[in-house]
Amino acid sequence: MGTHSAPRRARPARTSEEARFRLRRTLTPQRSGTQFVITVLFIALGFTLTAAVSGNANDSILANARQSDLVSLLDDLAQREARLQAENTRLETARETLLGGDEYSALNEAKRRADALGVLAGSEAIAGSGIEVSISGNLTASTLIDAVQELRDAGATAIQISDRDLAVRIVANTWFADSTSGITVSGTALQVPITISVIGDSSVLVPAIKIPGGLVDTVGSGGGEVKITESQNVDISAIVPLPNS
Amino acid sequence: MIPAIGLLVGIVLGLILQPTVPVWLQPYLPIAVVAALDAVFGAFRSVLDGLFNDRIFVISFLSNVLVAAVIVFLGDQLGVGSQMSTGVVVVLTMRIFANVAAIRRHLLKA
Repeated sequence: MGTHSAPRRARPARTSEEARFRLRRTLTPQRSGTQFVITVLFIALGFTLTAAVSGNANDSILANARQSDLVSLLDDLAQREARLQAENTRLETARETLLGGDEYSALNEAKRRADALGVLAGSEAIAGSGIEVSISGNLTASTLIDAVQELRDAGATAIQISDRDLAVRIVANTWFADSTSGITVSGTALQVPITISVIGDSSVLVPAIKIPGGLVDTVGSGGGEVKITESQNVDISAIVPLPNS
Repeated sequence: MIPAIGLLVGIVLGLILQPTVPVWLQPYLPIAVVAALDAVFGAFRSVLDGLFNDRIFVISFLSNVLVAAVIVFLGDQLGVGSQMSTGVVVVLTMRIFANVAAIRRHLLKA
């Protein structure tokens, strides 16, 4: 095709036979400089075509994600890594102490965990800094449940609800019911006014029960009164007996 | 014929060598490939029109690729790189369709 001279004006093939003939004539191998250049161009085209296709095959999901998605994805990964790192460090330290230390330290560790679990299960008495919330006026069980949930979310270590002479420790399986003269907590009938003693960070606990729609709001709208006292020495003495196993 | 074999050789080479595209080239390569395909289909059509000129083909092939890459580069500099590549791809694809339609009319009379 290097030799054939192109006409200036388009002369479309009149029949498909003529078109096929032109195609065949163009496709017949010829030796010329431009033919060589064209071949090189086609080789380059084929090569880049596969390169572009294979380069696009991987990480196409990430490539098509929007920037905000990528940022949140990255944040997620970073947070997860930090969490796992922290856990890893904690476990490494525990392992070191258990391996390197004598029996005494292993025993200490076990005791420490038993104490922590005892506080959670309510089988240990505990004293510490926290708040005492006294509530007067009528009070429903559902308000009390909401309050307990709020306090737990706020990081309460231990919670106890008491009236003038009875006290009940709040644990995972504590239940609440309305009764004629007050609230029944896990089978113990408490008379209003009651006091909720909570051990935890008072700077977090106080806002937790003061939030709009929280305990203070609900009791206040029912005509009751809530009094919050921060104390360095909240004593939680009620315990839940361990089930016989 | 020889260029067609060249295309096959290029594809096979690409499959065997599994080239990794350098990062700076990544936005331009797909556009360049589409531009080159446009040139190829245009050449195919002009063969059937009896207008084919190998010199024009080589020049149009190279300038197509170059212009497409420059447009995308310009878009990148202006901060509208992805829109610009979309625009280039749309235009080139329309041209490819038009060329293929002409080729089809020539060969099949339909």
